[in-house]
Amino acid sequence: MGTIGVGNREMSDRIEEPQGARGRIRNAQDFWGGVVLIGLALIAFYASWDLPGMRGFSFGPGTTPRLFAGLLMLLGVVIAAIGLTTDGPAMPRFAIRGPLLVTSAILLFALMIRPLGLVVSSFLMFMFAASGSSETRWIETTLAAIALTAFCTILFVYLLGLPFQLWPRFTIGGTTIAF
Amino acid sequence: MFDLINNLALGFSVAFSAQNLFFCLVGALVGTLVGVLPGVGTVATIAMLLPITFGLPPVGALIMLAGIYYGAQYGGSTTSILVNIPGEATSVVTTLDGFQMAKQGRAGKALAMAAIGSFIAGCFATILVAALGAPLTSVALLFGPTEYFSLMVLGLIFAVVLAKGSVVKALAMIAFGLLLAVVGSDLETGAGRMTFDLPELADGIGFANVAMGVFGFAEIIRNLEGSSEDRQLVQGKITGLMPTWDDLKSCFGAIARGTGIGSLLGILPGGGAVIASFAAYTFEKKMSKDPSQFGRGAIQGVAAPESANNAAAQTSFIPLLTLGIPPNAVMALMVGAMTIHGIVPGPQVMTKQPDLFWGMIASMWLGNLMLVVINLPLVGIWVQLLRVPYRLMYPSILVFCCIGIYSINNSPWDVVMAGVFGLVGYWLIKHDFEPAPMLLGFVLGPLMEENLRRAMLISRGSAAVFFTRPISAVLLAISALLLIVAVLPMIRKRREEVFVEES
Repeated sequence: MGTIGVGNREMSDRIEEPQGARGRIRNAQDFWGGVVLIGLALIAFYASWDLPGMRGFSFGPGTTPRLFAGLLMLLGVVIAAIGLTTDGPAMPRFAIRGPLLVTSAILLFALMIRPLGLVVSSFLMFMFAASGSSETRWIETTLAAIALTAFCTILFVYLLGLPFQLWPRFTIGGTTIAF
Repeated sequence: MFDLINNLALGFSVAFSAQNLFFCLVGALVGTLVGVLPGVGTVATIAMLLPITFGLPPVGALIMLAGIYYGAQYGGSTTSILVNIPGEATSVVTTLDGFQMAKQGRAGKALAMAAIGSFIAGCFATILVAALGAPLTSVALLFGPTEYFSLMVLGLIFAVVLAKGSVVKALAMIAFGLLLAVVGSDLETGAGRMTFDLPELADGIGFANVAMGVFGFAEIIRNLEGSSEDRQLVQGKITGLMPTWDDLKSCFGAIARGTGIGSLLGILPGGGAVIASFAAYTFEKKMSKDPSQFGRGAIQGVAAPESANNAAAQTSFIPLLTLGIPPNAVMALMVGAMTIHGIVPGPQVMTKQPDLFWGMIASMWLGNLMLVVINLPLVGIWVQLLRVPYRLMYPSILVFCCIGIYSINNSPWDVVMAGVFGLVGYWLIKHDFEPAPMLLGFVLGPLMEENLRRAMLISRGSAAVFFTRPISAVLLAISALLLIVAVLPMIRKRREEVFVEES
């Protein structure tokens, strides 16, 4: 009876995972999640290796990082082990476009804000982020970008009184040109 | 009793200053504006709006945060009722009857009852917070570093046990959060820890960067994955915002019971508000003379869970304000905000800064009132927001978040950091790790380390002190018990699975 049971389970596994390539790891989501946590703990161990540890009764700067990294490592191992011994979801599929679009829009803003100021940066970032969508309508997008830029400027600069540089500023040959 | 009234009077005098009223109003409006966006829940809203409070004086900032909190919650329930998309776990139950009511053309009633129920619950819970604040604080003042450390362990374990999903994964998230909190200069020696020699990391990882990345950006990335959304927005004008006397009468019991359940469960760390709303709904269904109405637009099915989650949200301030321990992600955000203003949450806040402590409690009530009086009539505007297509919404959120993050320190590096944590958050969501325990660990990390170090120093390096001091031992014993109780069903389930396979 036992062998038949196991056979059934393996068959149902295959039905759930049509690729079959990862069929050996029964709960890939947890297994790889645990593995990455172990990796993070190892990085933490590496980064805190040269910090002094316990000095007599008192903790050194390196004690707590290694303590927490050890805890993370332990839990990562447990999660990976659970991933190997239980049935669960397959490896999740990661999208490329969304993360890439969001990350590059954020980077763009970080690069623009100092030289170009709040107004231009907000507007350009909005246009860039919106252009990533498959159904961009340019007039609508431009209007929305203008509206949002105005809203943010009023909220942050006038209502909340935060010190923002609003317009571009360039330094050419020692003279600063501010708008 | 006199103390209580005096204290509340002090609080209201702070909260009712023209400036603070204005902050509360701006907070409530902006909170609703962001909270109403589908898929943006309470935590995400507060995380996104956190930076706009940083430029204000501490009391004003916390009052504005209270407004944002209420606005976000109200915005969330609006989305649940009108679009059937719960922004947060706490409003999942509200969608059951709320959306049905909206489909029957009773959206106005559902929204009004949600706000009124919340308000009544809020009034009661405010008094409860004020009454319990003083005695609990005096208990907390007796705690030494050993007890404090054990208390934090208990708080974290509680949060893990009551949260949804795997206990082990939630624990791992706490460990990850603790580890992130360690990055930066060591408090005692000044040695750079895990900074990879980057000067930007010397001050540690900014709280707002982590919160915004994991809750804000990660959500956007995930939402972008979805196919072009088909939202079932309830069309038509929303009328009948003024509930009739009959509605109020039929809901009074539901609101009272919801408030009671919520107030009790809210004090517990973890998913207090979530459990409270579910418990109140189930309880109400059991109490009802006609349970078959539930799920088909029963007004009590909206009133009870909304009262419960609001009462719970309010009483969850008790552990934060008295013990300095945030019981959930929203409170963790509050701790972050307080820390940025140089306030260390805990029992000393009440004695050293009574105006801040009581002002905040009073402003919670005020935020609630503002919601009913000003925000509710504006529902038409908020509904228009639901019609904004996502292709315009996500760029707006992105730009808003970036400006907010940049405004904290005028540092582009912060913006990049938040982006990195957005990717981290996306990975966590994909692997079914809850980001909330990570944030709790991150917020409690420095406090835990400090108390652990002090306790160990006092005990001359012996970890046994945590088990020999009675209060600490009891706290740790409860933690251990909770963990065992939480893990047991998991093991039993697995054994059952095995059993099923073998039979």
